[in-house]
Amino acid sequence: MSNDDNSSPHSQLSSHVFENLLDSIIVDIASECHRISILGLDCNLEGEEEELRLSAQARRRVADSSNSGETNSKHVVDIFGQTHPAIANEIFECMNCGRSIMAGRFAPHLEKCMGKGRKARLKSTRSSTTQNRHSRGNPVSVYAPYSNRAANGTADEYANGSLEES
Amino acid sequence: MSSTSSASNHRLLRRHHHLPPPCPHLASYLSSRGLRPFRAIHRLLRLRPSGRASLRLDVPTCASCGGGSRRLYACLACAAVSCWDSGHAAAHAGSPGHEIAVDVDRAELFCCACRDQVYDPGFDAAVVLSVRSAVAVSSGSAPSKKRRQVEYRPWTPGTKERALVGEGSSPIGPHSPPPPAGLRGLNNLGNTCFMNSVLQALIHTPPLRNYFLSDRHNRFVCQRRRMKRYKSGGGGRGDNSRNEKKVCLACDLDAIFSAAFSGDRTPYSPASFLYSWWQHASNLASYEQQDAHEFFISMLDGIHEKVEHDQSKTQDQDLYNNHTNLLTGKGDCCIAHRVFSGILRSDVTCTVCGYTSTTYDPCVDISLDLDPSHRSTKTGSMKSRVSNGEVESMMAGQNHGMSTLMGCLDRFTRPERLGADQKFFCQQCQEKQESLKQMSIRKLPLVTCFHIKRFEHSSTRNMSRKVDRYLQFPFSLDMSRYLSSSVLRSRYGNRIFSFDEENDDHVAGADDDDPNASVEISSEFELFAVVTHTGKLDAGHYITYLRLNNQWYRCDDAWITHVNEDLVRAAQCYMMFYVQKMLYYKASESASAS
Repeated sequence: MSNDDNSSPHSQLSSHVFENLLDSIIVDIASECHRISILGLDCNLEGEEEELRLSAQARRRVADSSNSGETNSKHVVDIFGQTHPAIANEIFECMNCGRSIMAGRFAPHLEKCMGKGRKARLKSTRSSTTQNRHSRGNPVSVYAPYSNRAANGTADEYANGSLEES
Repeated sequence: MSSTSSASNHRLLRRHHHLPPPCPHLASYLSSRGLRPFRAIHRLLRLRPSGRASLRLDVPTCASCGGGSRRLYACLACAAVSCWDSGHAAAHAGSPGHEIAVDVDRAELFCCACRDQVYDPGFDAAVVLSVRSAVAVSSGSAPSKKRRQVEYRPWTPGTKERALVGEGSSPIGPHSPPPPAGLRGLNNLGNTCFMNSVLQALIHTPPLRNYFLSDRHNRFVCQRRRMKRYKSGGGGRGDNSRNEKKVCLACDLDAIFSAAFSGDRTPYSPASFLYSWWQHASNLASYEQQDAHEFFISMLDGIHEKVEHDQSKTQDQDLYNNHTNLLTGKGDCCIAHRVFSGILRSDVTCTVCGYTSTTYDPCVDISLDLDPSHRSTKTGSMKSRVSNGEVESMMAGQNHGMSTLMGCLDRFTRPERLGADQKFFCQQCQEKQESLKQMSIRKLPLVTCFHIKRFEHSSTRNMSRKVDRYLQFPFSLDMSRYLSSSVLRSRYGNRIFSFDEENDDHVAGADDDDPNASVEISSEFELFAVVTHTGKLDAGHYITYLRLNNQWYRCDDAWITHVNEDLVRAAQCYMMFYVQKMLYYKASESASAS
């Protein structure tokens, strides 16, 4: 730019102005960073970099290893040396009706026992204020229940975790 | 005041703000100028539209060469303006006493002899005050409250104490230590993994665990009390006659703690807890799967003991009182709030006149959005983005092309320009104007729960979907830059100043003299529990990873297994629980017998 053949006064002037602006921006940033550094406001930068590195490394390692550990964990032995059946088979008394219920089937029983649940509920509880949930500055979430989730099948399908969102 | 006491005053200030000692030129300038050497500076400063302060000069040119606006410095001793590039500023600094100058464009102190930018608390205070007075603030500020201070005195055991401990204890055997206390599986009662995962995290939340294990809520005593009150006709007045009077979620939680730490390692069925919770949150009572975060909020609400002794108050009054208590007091209403309740600050600034309106809201968790755009994975690349009209340099939290928790928090506390359709009513302009909104954390809770909004609902298409994108999260987290004090400070260009958030009309000097005046509440946190969700929106599974004695354990309903920390780092997080570092105990790795 400085060795421009068209070194008319106009282009020289505009180059001059541009260089002034560029300089100003560079010194702005230098000044801010200098202040942050001297006042020690960025002291934790290394710690953060380390965390990022560890996470990236962990993801690579987990992707590489054949045993992800996430699947098929219902048949393992836990750290206390125990194994458990897929459906919890502890038996106890229902505190509502007094009957003996198996743990893994307690929730569906209780639902009917207490008269709650989809069949018992008379009206829909869908809330119309969903747009409020995603307003950025409002982390104090006001939750309304949503009931539009598809049926989960029989009581045997106990372990499915689904998300109640709509 | 003598100059020696002002010199010691400056030393105190510099130490308090972690400043290195001044260069000899700055030091001699300060000592020659008495108590407040920069008192007159504020008359020379003006506020630029960008919010930055600069020197008010009609035509800034170099006195020696008449050169233009490049890096001009105004000598503090004689007000002569010189440019740097042609060496005129350095030449001017040759005369003794004229070494210190002010950068005309940036209102920064510069030592021309040392050729470096220097910093002084007194100067920064003058700049901040002049900037503030330039933005007229309407009267009617909130009543100023004296900041509650808790003095923390560190203590280490002396020789006598060590001897005492040595005599009364025996070393743990050479074989591997037993599994940590409190670790126990929870039976799935039928689609209740959402509940189990949150319960596992809470069982190992240090302040909560300590509270219940210290018998602070004895379920037998509480039950007797409730029975007595119920029998004596406590019901019958408005909302207090609800069924929930018989139910106490804290009692059921107490039972769970007792069971978890009993030493019995067979999986426990939290059946009575489910029963009580369904009575409390009757709208969520159904066999279908719930959202773990929704359960968490509902549960905290259940533990929260509403103020009962004054039954003449309406429910609205109760809510208002509680809200005020959480903002001004210590949130002592219940253990749930004492542990999880923090305060968020929201500043809305009018883009026309600069007037800022501030509101505070209590919160028990922080819900964060994942970043909206899909970015390609460029490892180690630095990008700058233009957003909201400002150029943002890539912060450390967005390196490696990953989405990160700190990146989400950066976005959470970033000033956001509200659209033209969301104009705010400005008190000063007395009309609706476009504004800038910025969130920050006024008070950090003991335990911070982060909730990642992985579920997108499209109201137009009436469908929901889950965002599976990986989010990086650190094991150690420093929240200081998200505090209101830091955000406020950076708004003023990171000036050295004690920004009193309660009362924005803070006067410099009073508190600055005492470095012990502002006790630093720790902003360092340690991760101790992660709730993850795997699978699809309507067919997924929650599990919790717990960090005990720096080992990670996977809690999948009744199955507790030991896992490598890599697995946790690589997991898809949904809720993360961080506790203040000073409450977090890292047991030593080896139990040595000596």
